[in-house]
Amino acid sequence: MSSEDQTKPQENDPPLDVSILKEIARKSLIDALNSVNGAKTLVLDPTLAGPLGLVTEVSLLKHHGVDKMFWLEAGPLTSSTTNIVYLCRPMIKYVKIIADHIKRHTKESSKHNYTLLLVPRLSSLVSRLLEEEGVLGDITISAYNLQFIPIAEDVVSLECESAFKEIWVDGDETVIYDSAQALISLQKLFGLFPRILAKGDHAARLVKLLTTYLPQTRTSSSPDTLSELSDDFDSLIVIDRRVDMITPLLTQLTYEGLIDELIGIRNCHVELPASLVTPPSGPTSNPAQPPAPVSSTSAANLRKESKKKYHLTDQLFIDLRDLNFSSVGKRLNKIARRLDEDYKTSLQAKTIPQLRDVVGKLGGLQTEHQSLRLHTGLSEMLIPMTRTEQFNKSLEIQQNLLASYNVSDQVAAIEDLIANGTDMQTVVRLLCLASLTTGGIKTKALENIKREILQAYGYNLLPLLLSLASPSLSVLLPNPLPPSTPQAVLASKYPFSYLSKSLRLLIDDSPEALEEVENDISFVYSGYAPISVRLVQCVAQKGGVLSNPAEKEKSQTANGAGGGGKVQAHPIVGWKGFEDVLTTMPGETLDITQHGTESATSSIRNLTRPRDKSTTTVVFFLGGCTYTEIAALRWVGRQNRGRRFLIATTGIITGTSLVDSIAGTRKTAQGDAGI
Amino acid sequence: MPDHPTVSWQAMQGGNVFYRHQQLFSLDGKLPNFGECIVAGCRYGGPIAMMRDSTKIIALNSAAPSFVKSQIQVFSSAGEGLLLFSWDQAKIIRFGWTYDERLVVLNEEGTYRVYDLQGDYQQHSLGSEASELGVIDARIHENGMVAMTGSLTLLEVKGWDGGRPMVLANPKLSEPPNSWAVIPPDLNISRHVEVLLSVDNTVFTVDNLESIDQRLSQGPFTHIRPSPNGKSLALLTFSGTLLVVSTDFQRRMAEFDTSTVATEGQIQQVEWCGNDAIAVTWESLVVLVGPFADILQYFYTGNTFAITEPDGVRIISPDVCELIQKVPAPNLSIFRPGSTSPAAILYDAWESFSQRSPKADESIRNIRPELASAVDSCIEAAGQEWEPYWQRRLLSAAKFGRGYLDFYNPTDFVNMGQTLKVLNAVRYYEIGIPLTYSQYTYTSPSHLISRLTARNMHLLALRISSFLSLKPDVVLKHWASAKILRSRPTATSPDAEAGGDDEVCKLIVDKFKELGGGDVSYAEIAKRAWEAGRVGLATKLLDYERRASDQVPLLLSMKEDRLALEKAVGSGDTDLVYQVLLHLHQHLTLGNFFRLIEDGGEKLAPASRLLQVYAREQNRDMLRDFYYSDDRRVESAVLALDEASRMSDPASRISSVKSAQKFFSEDKDRGFEAKMMDESVRLLTLQQQLETEAGGNVSFFGQSVNETMRTCILNGMVKKADKIKADFKVPDKRFWYIKLYALTEIRDFEGLDTFAKSKRSPIGYEPFVRHLVAKGHAKEAVAYVARCDSPKRADLYTECDEWRMAGKECKERGDKRKLEELRKKCPNSMIAREFDQILSTMK
Repeated sequence: MSSEDQTKPQENDPPLDVSILKEIARKSLIDALNSVNGAKTLVLDPTLAGPLGLVTEVSLLKHHGVDKMFWLEAGPLTSSTTNIVYLCRPMIKYVKIIADHIKRHTKESSKHNYTLLLVPRLSSLVSRLLEEEGVLGDITISAYNLQFIPIAEDVVSLECESAFKEIWVDGDETVIYDSAQALISLQKLFGLFPRILAKGDHAARLVKLLTTYLPQTRTSSSPDTLSELSDDFDSLIVIDRRVDMITPLLTQLTYEGLIDELIGIRNCHVELPASLVTPPSGPTSNPAQPPAPVSSTSAANLRKESKKKYHLTDQLFIDLRDLNFSSVGKRLNKIARRLDEDYKTSLQAKTIPQLRDVVGKLGGLQTEHQSLRLHTGLSEMLIPMTRTEQFNKSLEIQQNLLASYNVSDQVAAIEDLIANGTDMQTVVRLLCLASLTTGGIKTKALENIKREILQAYGYNLLPLLLSLASPSLSVLLPNPLPPSTPQAVLASKYPFSYLSKSLRLLIDDSPEALEEVENDISFVYSGYAPISVRLVQCVAQKGGVLSNPAEKEKSQTANGAGGGGKVQAHPIVGWKGFEDVLTTMPGETLDITQHGTESATSSIRNLTRPRDKSTTTVVFFLGGCTYTEIAALRWVGRQNRGRRFLIATTGIITGTSLVDSIAGTRKTAQGDAGI
Repeated sequence: MPDHPTVSWQAMQGGNVFYRHQQLFSLDGKLPNFGECIVAGCRYGGPIAMMRDSTKIIALNSAAPSFVKSQIQVFSSAGEGLLLFSWDQAKIIRFGWTYDERLVVLNEEGTYRVYDLQGDYQQHSLGSEASELGVIDARIHENGMVAMTGSLTLLEVKGWDGGRPMVLANPKLSEPPNSWAVIPPDLNISRHVEVLLSVDNTVFTVDNLESIDQRLSQGPFTHIRPSPNGKSLALLTFSGTLLVVSTDFQRRMAEFDTSTVATEGQIQQVEWCGNDAIAVTWESLVVLVGPFADILQYFYTGNTFAITEPDGVRIISPDVCELIQKVPAPNLSIFRPGSTSPAAILYDAWESFSQRSPKADESIRNIRPELASAVDSCIEAAGQEWEPYWQRRLLSAAKFGRGYLDFYNPTDFVNMGQTLKVLNAVRYYEIGIPLTYSQYTYTSPSHLISRLTARNMHLLALRISSFLSLKPDVVLKHWASAKILRSRPTATSPDAEAGGDDEVCKLIVDKFKELGGGDVSYAEIAKRAWEAGRVGLATKLLDYERRASDQVPLLLSMKEDRLALEKAVGSGDTDLVYQVLLHLHQHLTLGNFFRLIEDGGEKLAPASRLLQVYAREQNRDMLRDFYYSDDRRVESAVLALDEASRMSDPASRISSVKSAQKFFSEDKDRGFEAKMMDESVRLLTLQQQLETEAGGNVSFFGQSVNETMRTCILNGMVKKADKIKADFKVPDKRFWYIKLYALTEIRDFEGLDTFAKSKRSPIGYEPFVRHLVAKGHAKEAVAYVARCDSPKRADLYTECDEWRMAGKECKERGDKRKLEELRKKCPNSMIAREFDQILSTMK
């Protein structure tokens, strides 16, 4: 199944066009730049470079008067143009740098016009800080509203890397507000979500903002779709990351997920050896990125000479990304053979028209060839990484923990991993997993292992351990809990073993079944179904939670009843049937039906709507989602007729990036992302 | 019956083009003499503002109303006084009108006020530089202005919200220009303002980037006027030659010598009449200069004032207010004598019809194919006529023609009827807005509504907006504000006031509900109430506001701190929360500030967390106090640790960690953490010792226990490593790995060997083999294979590239399956043969 189904148009009507979001983002950037007359120097927040790279390219910026680009970094800034445009998120450290630049320029008595574009909106904090620094009068502040960026044809992201940490560790709810705004923009484009479902305390908060905000953002003059229910959407499902902490802690086993785990994907770009990215000869396909902006401390660029950014968008990648890594090799092999045959047939061309045909196809073949070469190379890079003892050991521990098999042994095994120098992130991930699946680690063992961690990786990790155990996260808890534990923590205890049964999380995968079909969303973790996606299934594909639809279908076709193919998706009826499961999970559960202003007409429209028109269910992950969850949702989408998924998220995460962001060890500004 | 439209027509260009002058209002000397005043007129039939020109001598006790010093008076086009206010500030440099009919008055100190028609104003400044240098002149356009400072530099203000002035490119003038003008941003291709300065005999164009000399030779110019669409310029030289050129100075379009006009006195104004003719005014004469330098003359009884309109020019004379404009094409085609256009025939047919003449039918039949367009022309022409009588006749003609058409969309007809009704209403002299149809379509109906509300004509505005089915919000909002200002409670007792508040509040809310003003912002109205000193009313109104972002600022200024913070938190808008927090931080004592947040409990928890995020970056001292005052030991400790990690000085770092340790130890649940911090301090002190012992060549400080041991081994301080292991109770397993890795790194294979033999390895010997192989020391690894578990040995040997040994191993163990497996993988034929041999010996 999979790719054949994927490439085939699912139905006649095209999927929801999210590229319009990209156009909007691009246009508003250009407008913002054009508001400053003449040549300008652009000073860019490094964390924004990646997301911006997805909406625009350097040439476009140059075309709109950007003369030079610099990173927004401490240190002096020399600009040859009078206009300096800063583009950054409203962070205190950036404001300080900007103030420093301005003061320095005043001292050197070089005159500049400063413009500050804040993403995604104005901030009174920033103006206040600038005022405190005494430079508010010298700078014009406006906003550049960068919201959802399409990162695949069915995924939009806010590309906000630290969302999870900000919400659950710092308690800074800015991201929630921004998400609500972004979802409102989405509704402005496509109409109101007829139904909104949410799981998790912060998800509920988001939904409340979303629903109470509606009448307020409405302006009397503009034609707004905010009063009409959408034709395209059937519902919005909001899931906050806290509801399913287990999934990101596991090692992702799809092709794309594994690349993210082992090599790292930032803003859809992966860093690969240059030899792999550049085609050996001829400029037939040129996926190479435009040059990165000049860094004011350009040492960072030199180091990475041999590496090159590659934007993961080719057709072959789209075919491969959601496969379990174990079957990637086979698929590559198949494609290689087909390509070979195509070349051969092209050689057999004799008559002129045949030749013309061949020449026409040649370009396509070459691009395909190039991407095949790239992905073969990439898989070759991955294979040795998946062969290491540490990788396999950690997989084994994960599987055992999920099956609640011999828990104390697993804790000991984690200790062994610390001993042999496995990286901190892996260890912490496993430890949190152990705590979540078993409902806490034995107090004695936990203290012991915490001590090991502190000794092995440094005492400066103590705040990390405290954050993990804090009431807002509580992913690393002792068992039994100390008597002084706040009620909130007790309430948020995770009923994993119950969920495991009621949501059918663990699939007993006999090897031949795995070979034959990816028969459940659990293929993404080789036998474990992500809880978050199961929750979505509770709303959008109820059958899929209880039993395996693929298997049923197979038996149907065997009985000769088949041919009809996929089942029509059932309408959205909320959490119905799974209320019990949801109440056992910590966090609020919401189910809201939105009404447009002229509900009468819209209900008539609902009736007149052709039944087979497919609708889109938007799934929003507050706090980020993993590539495996995306893959699993795509799989769910393929099982039914008449429903597609649009995945919206605050960002793409992995367990490692989560741990890093909480620990504050993430190397910031990893250099030249994107543009 | 009013005069026939053509009565006021005058031909130009040999009868191809006609201009008409339409009397709008008769004034009969209601206005002061223009000759003694400085005047500014507002476009789109707006009011005029007048101030006595102190440079001119006036005769006292003249009949006309005169001014006391420093007063500005505003009149409607119909001569009704709208506003009179006195000016108590420094000398007024210039005043002018904005797009939304507000009067901007700029003084020489760079301060400007924006007055609405009720006399309320906002005051802004052009900045300290302008006030030091002084402002000598300014040009005010609809959406901003350009001021010229005493040092002859140009400052641009965009919008009227008090935005920061931008410095335009310096034209480097040595003396003030002879005359100058501004082309507004929205009329330029670049979308930025352009200033034209007449210097010597040329013109400089200045924008925010550069100043360009246009290299003209006819200058200097006494007048420079850009046309309403910004495409052409009218220039008047000292010698009286009027030049019309394109704005880019590339094309010269007309030239006219004004000295040929037989009149006395100086030219007073050069204004545009629409985009294709220019009105030059003398004391009591207006000369219209057409594109081909042909002229029309209009005589008046006294001083006149001309205001450029997009579709003509408004002339205000002591007796009348007139509009001079080119006759629009549809009217020309209908009313022009001898016109045979379909529209003219349709009109003729309708007239015949109304006189019951059979000619009507014949005429209609003649123009059958063009009837639809003839109907359209009649509708359009109706819009352009001033007199309702002629409007009605033209619409009737259109209706008559429509009857002959099978399919005709009546929308235009209906809209025109509605529009004319509105226009005629506002043209009434008491309202005094002589708005033409094209100005109305250009400025939009909502603009008209706001102009009416600005004149406090709420009822008319409300009726018009419901007639045009616009939302009543704007009117209601303005009405409510006005209501609050007017309804000041007269009674002095507090009870009466409260009652008054309730009453007014109810009145406003009921009116809103009744008229469907659901989207009106109550906060703005509440703000007006607050400004009017009616706190009680403001609070009551604010309760109706749903948008927190609007409630909060007012609540803050009303000192409702807690409520403001709660509303801000409830809105979910973190920026709003920050706004409140920063405000409170500034205005409250630290103690009260903290108490407010802490007492808020769960409700204000998000605010408390945001404060921590902010303080962690910006104000650590405050954060420390905050944690301390709330007895948050753990947070205090983490803060101390975070500070430690930022320090480079060892002594202060150690003391920071120590203080963290102290905080942890004060919390009885944090025994583990306290112990760990204790260890950390011990480690840091030890590392300092190690550094001195190593003679300062090796850096230890800040490493983890593992790294410290590793560094010790790397630098040959094996004993020290052992001591650390003992001191920190490092488990054997971990220690063995560290030592293995470290020894391999310095290639101390002998040491590794002794270490391996020192006792039985707690981690087995497989890691030895694997690590050595991974680091490329396969040869050294071989020795350890023998010590591994026997089943694994064969594989390990192959990893070391020792295939023969692997074969031997299999043979010894008699493991045939393994051997066969290896046989498949073997690297060359020699080994394959050997394997085959072994295989053959094993049975």
